[in-house]
Amino acid sequence: MRRALAGVADFVVGDDLWTAVAVVVAVVATALVLRAGVDAWWLLPVAVPLAVLRSVTRASGA
Amino acid sequence: MTGDLLLVLGSALASGVEVVEAATIVLALGMSRGWRAPLLGSAAALGVLAVAIAAVGPALERIPIDTLRLVVGTLVLLFGLQWLRKAILREVGVLSKHDEDAAFAQEVARARVTGRAHGSLDRYSWTLAFKSVLLEGLEVVFIVLTLGVNQGSIPLAASGAVVAAVAVGAAAVLVRRPLSRVPENALKFGVGVTLTAFGTFWAAEGAGAEWPGGDAALLALVALTAAWSLLFVRVVRVRAA
Repeated sequence: MRRALAGVADFVVGDDLWTAVAVVVAVVATALVLRAGVDAWWLLPVAVPLAVLRSVTRASGA
Repeated sequence: MTGDLLLVLGSALASGVEVVEAATIVLALGMSRGWRAPLLGSAAALGVLAVAIAAVGPALERIPIDTLRLVVGTLVLLFGLQWLRKAILREVGVLSKHDEDAAFAQEVARARVTGRAHGSLDRYSWTLAFKSVLLEGLEVVFIVLTLGVNQGSIPLAASGAVVAAVAVGAAAVLVRRPLSRVPENALKFGVGVTLTAFGTFWAAEGAGAEWPGGDAALLALVALTAAWSLLFVRVVRVRAA
Protein backbone atom coordinates (compact mmCIF):
# COMPACT_ATOMS: atom_id res chain seq x y z
CA MET A 1 0.00 0.00 0.00
CA ARG A 2 2.80 2.39 0.97
CA ARG A 3 4.66 1.54 -2.24
CA ALA A 4 1.52 2.11 -4.29
CA LEU A 5 1.00 5.54 -2.70
CA ALA A 6 4.65 6.41 -3.28
CA GLY A 7 4.24 5.37 -6.92
CA VAL A 8 1.16 7.57 -7.34
CA ALA A 9 2.94 10.51 -5.67
CA ASP A 10 5.94 10.05 -7.96
CA PHE A 11 3.63 9.83 -10.99
CA VAL A 12 1.90 13.13 -10.16
CA VAL A 13 4.62 15.14 -8.40
CA GLY A 14 7.75 13.84 -10.14
CA ASP A 15 11.21 14.83 -9.01
CA ASP A 16 10.52 18.43 -7.97
CA LEU A 17 8.69 18.43 -4.66
CA TRP A 18 9.26 22.16 -4.05
CA THR A 19 7.32 23.19 -7.16
CA ALA A 20 4.49 20.81 -6.28
CA VAL A 21 4.25 22.26 -2.76
CA ALA A 22 4.35 25.82 -4.12
CA VAL A 23 1.54 25.04 -6.57
CA VAL A 24 -0.65 23.42 -3.90
CA VAL A 25 -0.06 26.40 -1.57
CA ALA A 26 -1.03 28.75 -4.44
CA VAL A 27 -4.28 26.82 -5.05
CA VAL A 28 -5.14 26.91 -1.32
CA ALA A 29 -4.27 30.61 -1.17
CA THR A 30 -6.55 31.26 -4.17
CA ALA A 31 -9.44 29.55 -2.37
CA LEU A 32 -8.80 31.48 0.87
CA VAL A 33 -8.47 34.87 -0.85
CA LEU A 34 -11.68 34.20 -2.81
CA ARG A 35 -13.50 33.34 0.41
CA ALA A 36 -12.32 36.66 1.83
CA GLY A 37 -14.22 38.33 -1.00
CA VAL A 38 -11.30 39.23 -3.30
CA ASP A 39 -11.56 38.14 -6.95
CA ALA A 40 -8.31 36.14 -7.13
CA TRP A 41 -8.49 34.43 -10.56
CA TRP A 42 -5.09 36.02 -11.35
CA LEU A 43 -3.24 34.42 -8.44
CA LEU A 44 -2.46 31.04 -10.04
CA PRO A 45 -1.37 32.45 -13.43
CA VAL A 46 1.15 34.58 -11.48
CA ALA A 47 2.30 31.98 -8.94
CA VAL A 48 2.76 29.06 -11.35
CA PRO A 49 5.37 30.68 -13.64
CA LEU A 50 7.26 32.02 -10.62
CA ALA A 51 7.50 28.48 -9.21
CA VAL A 52 8.63 27.10 -12.57
CA LEU A 53 11.22 29.87 -13.03
CA ARG A 54 12.70 29.09 -9.64
CA SER A 55 12.72 25.38 -10.44
CA VAL A 56 14.39 25.59 -13.87
CA THR A 57 16.99 28.16 -12.79
CA ARG A 58 17.95 26.01 -9.81
CA ALA A 59 18.05 22.82 -11.90
CA SER A 60 20.23 24.47 -14.53
CA GLY A 61 22.49 26.20 -12.01
CA ALA A 62 21.80 29.49 -13.82
CA MET B 1 -15.90 24.99 -28.34
CA THR B 2 -12.43 26.38 -27.53
CA GLY B 3 -12.21 24.05 -24.56
CA ASP B 4 -13.24 21.06 -26.69
CA LEU B 5 -10.62 21.82 -29.34
CA LEU B 6 -7.90 22.16 -26.71
CA LEU B 7 -9.16 18.97 -25.07
CA VAL B 8 -8.74 16.99 -28.31
CA LEU B 9 -5.40 18.68 -29.02
CA GLY B 10 -4.02 17.97 -25.54
CA SER B 11 -4.97 14.30 -25.51
CA ALA B 12 -3.82 13.84 -29.12
CA LEU B 13 -0.40 15.41 -28.42
CA ALA B 14 0.13 13.36 -25.26
CA SER B 15 -0.98 10.19 -26.98
CA GLY B 16 1.27 10.85 -30.00
CA VAL B 17 4.34 11.38 -27.82
CA GLU B 18 3.78 8.24 -25.77
CA VAL B 19 3.02 6.11 -28.84
CA VAL B 20 6.33 7.18 -30.43
CA GLU B 21 8.20 5.83 -27.38
CA ALA B 22 6.19 2.60 -27.14
CA ALA B 23 6.38 2.06 -30.92
CA THR B 24 10.19 2.18 -30.78
CA ILE B 25 10.26 -0.82 -28.43
CA VAL B 26 7.55 -2.77 -30.29
CA LEU B 27 9.35 -2.14 -33.61
CA ALA B 28 12.68 -3.28 -32.17
CA LEU B 29 11.08 -6.48 -30.88
CA GLY B 30 9.11 -7.13 -34.07
CA MET B 31 12.05 -6.61 -36.39
CA SER B 32 14.48 -8.68 -34.36
CA ARG B 33 12.30 -11.49 -32.96
CA GLY B 34 9.10 -11.57 -35.05
CA TRP B 35 5.85 -9.61 -34.93
CA ARG B 36 3.25 -11.93 -33.42
CA ALA B 37 4.22 -11.72 -29.73
CA PRO B 38 4.86 -7.94 -29.55
CA LEU B 39 1.61 -7.19 -31.41
CA LEU B 40 -0.35 -9.50 -29.10
CA GLY B 41 1.34 -7.95 -26.05
CA SER B 42 0.52 -4.44 -27.30
CA ALA B 43 -3.11 -5.41 -27.97
CA ALA B 44 -3.43 -6.88 -24.47
CA ALA B 45 -2.05 -3.67 -22.91
CA LEU B 46 -4.42 -1.51 -24.99
CA GLY B 47 -7.28 -3.71 -23.75
CA VAL B 48 -6.25 -3.14 -20.11
CA LEU B 49 -6.03 0.63 -20.73
CA ALA B 50 -9.48 0.68 -22.35
CA VAL B 51 -10.94 -1.21 -19.37
CA ALA B 52 -9.26 1.31 -17.01
CA ILE B 53 -10.90 4.23 -18.84
CA ALA B 54 -14.29 2.47 -18.90
CA ALA B 55 -14.07 1.61 -15.17
CA VAL B 56 -12.63 4.81 -13.68
CA GLY B 57 -14.32 7.35 -15.99
CA PRO B 58 -17.93 6.87 -14.83
CA ALA B 59 -16.78 6.83 -11.17
CA LEU B 60 -15.06 10.22 -11.62
CA GLU B 61 -18.17 11.62 -13.31
CA ARG B 62 -20.16 11.08 -10.11
CA ILE B 63 -17.95 13.48 -8.09
CA PRO B 64 -19.39 17.04 -7.75
CA ILE B 65 -17.90 19.22 -10.49
CA ASP B 66 -16.38 21.91 -8.20
CA THR B 67 -14.60 19.32 -6.03
CA LEU B 68 -13.50 17.49 -9.16
CA ARG B 69 -12.13 20.64 -10.76
CA LEU B 70 -10.28 21.67 -7.61
CA VAL B 71 -8.67 18.26 -6.96
CA VAL B 72 -8.23 17.03 -10.52
CA GLY B 73 -7.32 20.51 -11.77
CA THR B 74 -4.51 20.67 -9.22
CA LEU B 75 -3.34 17.17 -10.23
CA VAL B 76 -3.41 18.11 -13.94
CA LEU B 77 -1.47 21.27 -13.12
CA LEU B 78 1.20 19.31 -11.19
CA PHE B 79 1.38 16.68 -13.93
CA GLY B 80 1.58 19.31 -16.70
CA LEU B 81 4.35 21.18 -14.89
CA GLN B 82 6.42 17.98 -14.83
CA TRP B 83 6.20 17.77 -18.63
CA LEU B 84 6.83 21.49 -19.07
CA ARG B 85 9.76 21.71 -16.64
CA LYS B 86 11.50 18.75 -18.29
CA ALA B 87 10.82 20.12 -21.78
CA ILE B 88 12.37 23.47 -20.79
CA LEU B 89 15.40 21.75 -19.24
CA ARG B 90 15.81 19.54 -22.35
CA GLU B 91 15.56 22.58 -24.60
CA VAL B 92 18.41 24.33 -22.77
CA GLY B 93 20.50 21.15 -22.66
CA VAL B 94 20.34 20.44 -18.92
CA LEU B 95 18.48 17.18 -19.57
CA SER B 96 19.28 15.08 -22.63
CA LYS B 97 16.64 14.70 -25.31
CA HIS B 98 15.13 11.28 -25.89
CA ASP B 99 16.99 9.62 -28.77
CA GLU B 100 14.67 7.16 -30.54
CA ASP B 101 17.47 5.80 -32.77
CA ALA B 102 19.65 5.03 -29.73
CA ALA B 103 16.72 3.50 -27.82
CA PHE B 104 15.87 1.38 -30.86
CA ALA B 105 19.46 0.16 -31.33
CA GLN B 106 19.76 -0.66 -27.63
CA GLU B 107 16.49 -2.60 -27.66
CA VAL B 108 17.41 -4.54 -30.82
CA ALA B 109 20.80 -5.50 -29.30
CA ARG B 110 19.13 -6.68 -26.09
CA ALA B 111 16.41 -8.58 -27.98
CA ARG B 112 18.96 -10.41 -30.12
CA VAL B 113 20.99 -11.75 -27.20
CA THR B 114 18.01 -12.73 -25.05
CA GLY B 115 17.23 -16.42 -25.36
CA ARG B 116 13.95 -17.71 -26.65
CA ALA B 117 12.01 -20.33 -24.69
CA HIS B 118 10.47 -23.19 -26.62
CA GLY B 119 6.78 -22.69 -27.22
CA SER B 120 4.33 -21.05 -29.55
CA LEU B 121 4.62 -17.55 -28.09
CA ASP B 122 7.78 -15.52 -27.53
CA ARG B 123 7.24 -14.58 -23.87
CA TYR B 124 10.08 -12.04 -23.76
CA SER B 125 8.61 -10.05 -26.65
CA TRP B 126 5.04 -10.33 -25.37
CA THR B 127 5.94 -9.19 -21.84
CA LEU B 128 8.19 -6.33 -22.90
CA ALA B 129 5.66 -5.03 -25.45
CA PHE B 130 2.84 -5.35 -22.88
CA LYS B 131 4.78 -3.47 -20.19
CA SER B 132 5.97 -0.74 -22.55
CA VAL B 133 2.55 -0.03 -24.03
CA LEU B 134 0.90 -0.22 -20.60
CA LEU B 135 3.36 2.15 -18.91
CA GLU B 136 3.40 4.70 -21.75
CA GLY B 137 -0.37 4.38 -22.04
CA LEU B 138 -1.03 5.05 -18.35
CA GLU B 139 0.00 8.67 -18.76
CA VAL B 140 -2.36 8.97 -21.73
CA VAL B 141 -5.18 7.39 -19.71
CA PHE B 142 -4.56 9.86 -16.88
CA ILE B 143 -4.68 12.78 -19.32
CA VAL B 144 -7.75 11.47 -21.18
CA LEU B 145 -9.66 10.86 -17.94
CA THR B 146 -8.77 14.11 -16.21
CA LEU B 147 -9.22 16.34 -19.26
CA GLY B 148 -12.32 14.45 -20.42
CA VAL B 149 -14.16 14.36 -17.10
CA ASN B 150 -13.46 18.02 -16.29
CA GLN B 151 -14.47 19.20 -19.75
CA GLY B 152 -17.52 16.92 -19.65
CA SER B 153 -16.58 14.57 -22.49
CA ILE B 154 -14.37 11.54 -21.95
CA PRO B 155 -15.28 10.17 -25.44
CA LEU B 156 -14.03 13.40 -27.06
CA ALA B 157 -10.74 13.25 -25.16
CA ALA B 158 -10.40 9.54 -25.93
CA SER B 159 -11.08 10.12 -29.63
CA GLY B 160 -8.20 12.61 -29.85
CA ALA B 161 -5.89 10.10 -28.18
CA VAL B 162 -7.03 7.19 -30.36
CA VAL B 163 -6.69 9.11 -33.65
CA ALA B 164 -3.16 10.24 -32.72
CA ALA B 165 -2.18 6.76 -31.51
CA VAL B 166 -3.44 5.09 -34.69
CA ALA B 167 -1.74 7.70 -36.91
CA VAL B 168 1.63 7.45 -35.16
CA GLY B 169 1.42 3.65 -34.81
CA ALA B 170 0.55 3.25 -38.51
CA ALA B 171 3.42 5.54 -39.50
CA ALA B 172 5.85 3.49 -37.41
CA VAL B 173 4.65 0.21 -38.98
CA LEU B 174 4.80 1.66 -42.52
CA VAL B 175 8.32 3.11 -42.26
CA ARG B 176 9.53 0.22 -40.05
CA ARG B 177 12.00 2.55 -38.38
CA PRO B 178 11.96 4.43 -35.09
CA LEU B 179 10.18 7.75 -35.56
CA SER B 180 13.26 9.77 -34.74
CA ARG B 181 12.21 12.67 -36.97
CA VAL B 182 9.22 13.40 -34.80
CA PRO B 183 10.03 16.61 -32.88
CA GLU B 184 9.48 14.85 -29.59
CA ASN B 185 10.56 17.63 -27.25
CA ALA B 186 8.42 20.18 -29.09
CA LEU B 187 5.43 17.85 -28.69
CA LYS B 188 6.22 17.35 -25.00
CA PHE B 189 6.48 21.13 -24.67
CA GLY B 190 3.01 21.38 -26.23
CA VAL B 191 1.56 18.78 -23.87
CA GLY B 192 3.11 20.57 -20.88
CA VAL B 193 1.70 23.93 -21.98
CA THR B 194 -1.79 22.50 -22.62
CA LEU B 195 -1.97 20.56 -19.34
CA THR B 196 -0.62 23.51 -17.33
CA ALA B 197 -3.22 25.83 -18.88
CA PHE B 198 -6.08 23.37 -18.27
CA GLY B 199 -4.87 22.68 -14.71
CA THR B 200 -4.59 26.40 -13.89
CA PHE B 201 -8.06 27.04 -15.32
CA TRP B 202 -9.80 24.21 -13.46
CA ALA B 203 -7.93 24.52 -10.16
CA ALA B 204 -8.85 28.23 -9.95
CA GLU B 205 -12.46 27.51 -10.98
CA GLY B 206 -12.68 24.70 -8.42
CA ALA B 207 -11.40 27.11 -5.76
CA GLY B 208 -14.31 29.40 -6.64
CA ALA B 209 -12.78 31.83 -9.16
CA GLU B 210 -14.67 33.11 -12.19
CA TRP B 211 -12.44 33.66 -15.20
CA PRO B 212 -12.89 36.88 -17.15
CA GLY B 213 -14.24 35.89 -20.57
CA GLY B 214 -15.36 32.44 -19.38
CA ASP B 215 -14.00 29.54 -21.46
CA ALA B 216 -12.09 31.97 -23.71
CA ALA B 217 -9.72 32.48 -20.77
CA LEU B 218 -8.46 28.95 -21.42
CA LEU B 219 -7.10 30.01 -24.80
CA ALA B 220 -5.46 33.04 -23.19
CA LEU B 221 -3.91 30.76 -20.56
CA VAL B 222 -2.46 28.51 -23.28
CA ALA B 223 -0.91 31.54 -25.01
CA LEU B 224 0.37 32.96 -21.71
CA THR B 225 1.85 29.63 -20.59
CA ALA B 226 3.56 29.12 -23.95
CA ALA B 227 4.94 32.67 -23.78
CA TRP B 228 6.45 32.41 -20.30
CA SER B 229 7.82 28.92 -21.01
CA LEU B 230 9.65 30.14 -24.13
CA LEU B 231 10.84 33.19 -22.19
CA PHE B 232 12.25 30.91 -19.46
CA VAL B 233 14.17 28.93 -22.08
CA ARG B 234 15.85 32.18 -23.15
CA VAL B 235 16.40 33.33 -19.56
CA VAL B 236 18.08 30.07 -18.53
CA ARG B 237 20.19 30.02 -21.72
CA VAL B 238 21.37 33.61 -21.18
CA ARG B 239 22.09 33.13 -17.47
CA ALA B 240 23.91 29.85 -18.08
CA ALA B 241 26.07 31.35 -20.87
